[in-house]
Amino acid sequence: MLRFILIRLGQAIPILLAIYTITFFMVLAAPGGPFTQERKVAPHILEQQMEYYGFNDPLPIQFFRTLWQHITFEFPPLTSYPGLTSKDIIVDTFPVSLELGLLAMIVALAIGLPVGILAAAKKNSILDYAPMSLAMVGICLPTFVIGPLLSLVFGVWLGWLNISGWFSFADRILPACTLGLFYAAYIARLTRGGMLETLNMDYIRSARAKGAPEFKVVIVHALRGGIMPVVSFFGPALAGLISGSFVVETIFQVPGLGRHFIQAALSRDHSLILSTVLFYAALIIVANMIVDIVQILLNPKLRYR
Amino acid sequence: MSSLKDIEVIQARSPWRDAWLKLGKNRLAMFGLGFFATMVVLCYASPLFYPHSPTSQTLSLGATPPLSMGIELRYDAESEVADEVITVKEFADVYASNPEEEALRIRNGEVIDVDGLIFSKSSQIHILGTDGHGRDLLARIFQGGRISLGVGFIATFVSLLIGVFYGAVSGYLGGNTDAIMMRLVDVLYALPFLIFVILLMVVFEGSDHQLLLIFLAIGAVEWLTMARIVRGQVANLKNQDFVEAARATGVQTFSIILRHLAPNILGPVIVYSTLLVPAVMLLESTLSFLGLGVQPPNASWGTLIKEGAEKMMVYPWLLFVPATFFSFTLFAMNFLGDGLRDALDVKSSKD
Repeated sequence: MLRFILIRLGQAIPILLAIYTITFFMVLAAPGGPFTQERKVAPHILEQQMEYYGFNDPLPIQFFRTLWQHITFEFPPLTSYPGLTSKDIIVDTFPVSLELGLLAMIVALAIGLPVGILAAAKKNSILDYAPMSLAMVGICLPTFVIGPLLSLVFGVWLGWLNISGWFSFADRILPACTLGLFYAAYIARLTRGGMLETLNMDYIRSARAKGAPEFKVVIVHALRGGIMPVVSFFGPALAGLISGSFVVETIFQVPGLGRHFIQAALSRDHSLILSTVLFYAALIIVANMIVDIVQILLNPKLRYR
Repeated sequence: MSSLKDIEVIQARSPWRDAWLKLGKNRLAMFGLGFFATMVVLCYASPLFYPHSPTSQTLSLGATPPLSMGIELRYDAESEVADEVITVKEFADVYASNPEEEALRIRNGEVIDVDGLIFSKSSQIHILGTDGHGRDLLARIFQGGRISLGVGFIATFVSLLIGVFYGAVSGYLGGNTDAIMMRLVDVLYALPFLIFVILLMVVFEGSDHQLLLIFLAIGAVEWLTMARIVRGQVANLKNQDFVEAARATGVQTFSIILRHLAPNILGPVIVYSTLLVPAVMLLESTLSFLGLGVQPPNASWGTLIKEGAEKMMVYPWLLFVPATFFSFTLFAMNFLGDGLRDALDVKSSKD
């Protein structure tokens, strides 16, 4: 297991390097710079800024200096937030995105798992068809439709919740549901599929034959195998949660990292763009690794491959 | 004794015909196919028959709700064309002495005269209302649909080309080449692609080729799964006896791929492409919603939903209408894809 983790971490290094290189040159190719403004800045002031932020140095020096800054976690001041570094921004705003993502995942699991299990256990009944049709609706309603709809109904018409902001716990409900409902629908479908497959296996028949109660058969015997598709979905789901959070943070004015990323890209803040991209990439790589480990723990067959 | 003449000749049914019959029995899938086809025809053919243009603005008729009536105002009974088109609300607030009764008379087709001003019912009715600039919403939806569906088709086609080629080569060659090529796909899977697409859109913001770039960016992102599916199929097929037999009889590699392998990988490719179109449309709309995709004066369903979401508190239909069109189209495509998967009996790749 340790060897597996070490190999995966070793593979992560070239990936991150490649991402760094691509992003570095992509940002460089962008028209306009960090100091392009509507109002013309006097040339000597612009020159001073370029010098201070190191944009006048030769390209290879900039490339390796920035790379070194990311290896040592010693970040330069940002052009869009003078006096702050990308570390400050990420430390400040990522917890918000993380909280939103975790709450959304809780919503998704709390709805998706029971619905999927029930639909599989009561296959071809109303308890199967009705929730599964709803799940299809859920998948076809993207976050940027559900979000405004929810805030219109619960925020504007009913007046129960605030339509934007991130202060009390009540403010978390709408964003978390918006982000979570799509995944709830997806998880319900995956759970149903996985459970149906497992419920047809011989060992389930054996369990029933020796007289185990149906509830125990479904929850104890079948769930462990049936949940596998959901576990392998977690890797892509995390990537989706991150991108979904861009939209949800925009709709509900949540002060998370997603909005900062888009803002950084729009204001051509080289350092902040690079740091956030690398941060997200590392996050996804680690999450995929954890998913693989959990899969191995749940499924002994994978252990000796 | 029956002779050979009595034997009924039964035409063999091809697997494709079988699949088509099976699909025909699936009502949801047929609904999906019908809805989608209607949508495509409506969007692309609408300039031929739909009276409103998506770009013509009638500012005085800004943001009128669906089915609302416009009232033509003439300053002079003789004039042929209306001097102004106003809303019922404006008529009631500004001109009418007895608003309810007079508005009803106009609705019924009467021409009425209030203090020398001539009011009559406008022949232009906006079935789904107008947006904030007084543009007909349905015309805008058709215009947006042309772009959304177009992006869906073209980007899917791009990813189809890359994915099938890459997967077929990898699967057919096998061995170390296969291992390296597929490892690369694994690595690419782990990349935060939406971040790159967002970055790409920002970097080339406002350039003339933005739409082309959307096609390429999305197509380049979505080919990975296609490559995996095709590679799995090809690797599996190439060792089967009929391929072996073809090779033994001296059929060229190219012909083997074209005549023996291609028909067998077509099923999964069709199914996955059908499911890819809505996924691509979703991605494009997400970008447009974030303000990074299609730029005005062009519209896509994503930008229409974005505009609607900004004004939903006052003009809720501006959100509901495009959202309904968009969701129903995704819905239809997904049902069609699921139906095709069952009909072509493709081992499900996702769930």
